[in-house]
Amino acid sequence: MAYLINPEDQDLLDSVREFCEKEIKEQCKEYDVSGEWPEEIYAKAAELGYNGLEVPEEYGGLGLERITVAAIMEEFAKADAGFVTTITASNLALKAVLIGGNEEQKQRCCDLLMEGKHGAFCLTEPMAGSDAGNSKTTAVREGDEYVLNGRKCFITNGGVASFYVVTAMTDKSQGVKGMSAFLVEAGTPGLSTGNHENKMGIRTSNTCDVVLEDCRVPASALMGAEGEGYKIAMKTLDMSRTWVGCGAVGIAQRAIDEAVAYGKQRITFGKPILKNQGLQFMIADMEIRVETARQMVAHALKLMDAGLPYSRESAIAKCYAGDIAVQNALDAIQILGGYGYSREYPVEKLLRDAKIFQIYEGTNQIQRMVIGKSVIGKF
Amino acid sequence: MELLVCIKQVPDDSVSVGLNADGTPKLDEITPVVNAFDTYALEMAARFKEAHGGSVTVLTVGGEGAVPALRSCLAVGADRACRLADESACDPQGIAYLLAQASKKAGEQPFDVIFCGSESTDASSAQVGAQVAELLGLPVITNVLALEPKDGGISAKQETEDGYRVVEASCPCVVTIVKPDYEPRYPSIKSKMAARKMPITDLSLADVEADAGKFGPEAAKVRRVALSAPPQRQSGVKIQEKEAAEAVRRAMELMAGQKLI
Repeated sequence: MAYLINPEDQDLLDSVREFCEKEIKEQCKEYDVSGEWPEEIYAKAAELGYNGLEVPEEYGGLGLERITVAAIMEEFAKADAGFVTTITASNLALKAVLIGGNEEQKQRCCDLLMEGKHGAFCLTEPMAGSDAGNSKTTAVREGDEYVLNGRKCFITNGGVASFYVVTAMTDKSQGVKGMSAFLVEAGTPGLSTGNHENKMGIRTSNTCDVVLEDCRVPASALMGAEGEGYKIAMKTLDMSRTWVGCGAVGIAQRAIDEAVAYGKQRITFGKPILKNQGLQFMIADMEIRVETARQMVAHALKLMDAGLPYSRESAIAKCYAGDIAVQNALDAIQILGGYGYSREYPVEKLLRDAKIFQIYEGTNQIQRMVIGKSVIGKF
Repeated sequence: MELLVCIKQVPDDSVSVGLNADGTPKLDEITPVVNAFDTYALEMAARFKEAHGGSVTVLTVGGEGAVPALRSCLAVGADRACRLADESACDPQGIAYLLAQASKKAGEQPFDVIFCGSESTDASSAQVGAQVAELLGLPVITNVLALEPKDGGISAKQETEDGYRVVEASCPCVVTIVKPDYEPRYPSIKSKMAARKMPITDLSLADVEADAGKFGPEAAKVRRVALSAPPQRQSGVKIQEKEAAEAVRRAMELMAGQKLI
């Protein structure tokens, strides 16, 4: 079972799947080894409009339903989790602008994504990951400008983005209420990027430090009012978590697809290994997990569509999908046995890719804090 | 130039097809797609249009089921689509007759170049393009790899056993297309969504003044008598001798045994 999308969009999904099969899946194996950002693949995808899937219709987007975008994102993730990470990260930056930006900022970012450009969301710092309030980056107002100083780390698309949403403290004494958000365009003097991280997985996504050294931006780059940065960031992450869950579902599904394909043709003791009930039960458990996660993603998206609160559901979707992606990847490796452990086969990559889904956009421990608090409430 | 591309919907050729008990192909679960050679023809026509101006119309003969194929063409370079509604079983000559008739009505202006795939991936008769030309009394260049306008006509690279030769024809003319050195484009999300809203012109047999005696099962001059699945490949012979000289001797014996040497 997949997402229930409207029949017209099925055709759209089929063409995306064809692109993923022919242009991403096999090609990414080589980039997974080299760690190089596959510019050529991203250029082709950009030409087809894959960067602008979440741009709202009123800002020049195509007005796709969220559930259709989810089905497309799952295809991306099935082909390569680094690819979906790049697309999701641009959309993460877009979400922040749509939540906290003014009309001009929204239109600018939507235009850039529709042109096939990328965005980056710069919240994390060396000493401020889950504890984002401990941010050391500062923004000081000087006349009609703000001067930004600090170092952001683990920034997806850091080296390839055209626009950056950067959080910085405008008033340290206020704690998180002294954090503000700025929209900074690539090429702004004082903004530079560090080395591309040599990561365990999602190696086709670009991750690097974003360094701000006396980076002057016009006062109009401020998103919302001073002190609203933390609120914007938290709202953004609340929404984005579901999409991270969606990517994890894609990895978990690919694990099943690979395990089933292999298990049908691998013969031991005179019969295919999937004739053994023990392995059939493993496949069943993998399917139970992936379908549960997928429907949790769908449910959170439905709440967003309905304008209802979705923080808890978004956190559940992200946390559960991240956990089960790792488990399904492990099980796929187990079913492929020695071959599963070999880099000649695709499933070990799934495990390396899946692991980050328990870490980024708030670790799964943070998700459990969010979920726990929302259930227990204040007492 | 005004360009027409004739397309056929065929079963996805990347899937292996089995046979039903009555010997007919088992196609129920196989997705229909646009014939690969026709997608090359459409891509070549779209590039020709983008480089030299004009418009591209796609034409097919079929039932309602052929509409998605036309829509997918509208998403990858076609400007207009036209369907002649007919589902009778035709031989290549019957289909060529219907396409030739429809080509006279499918455009606002007469077409300068009519593109066909060199063959279809299902029946592979490779006759339709040439027969369309014959029926319309037009020149035809078969197995075309590339195409450009020249002196009011066209100049084409025609594939040969060894490479290609350059052939010219006056317009209007028919060309049949083989695989060029590029792939057909992918539809963008935007073009795919725009294609949903584009109109498809429906033509009836009466619209194209089709003579009932010239197409359909009764008129067919060629009939499919039987279909058979290709024989399964036999497993090869392994030569496992450890010494090279021994292995060569064994290979020679095997080839001599098969009277190959």
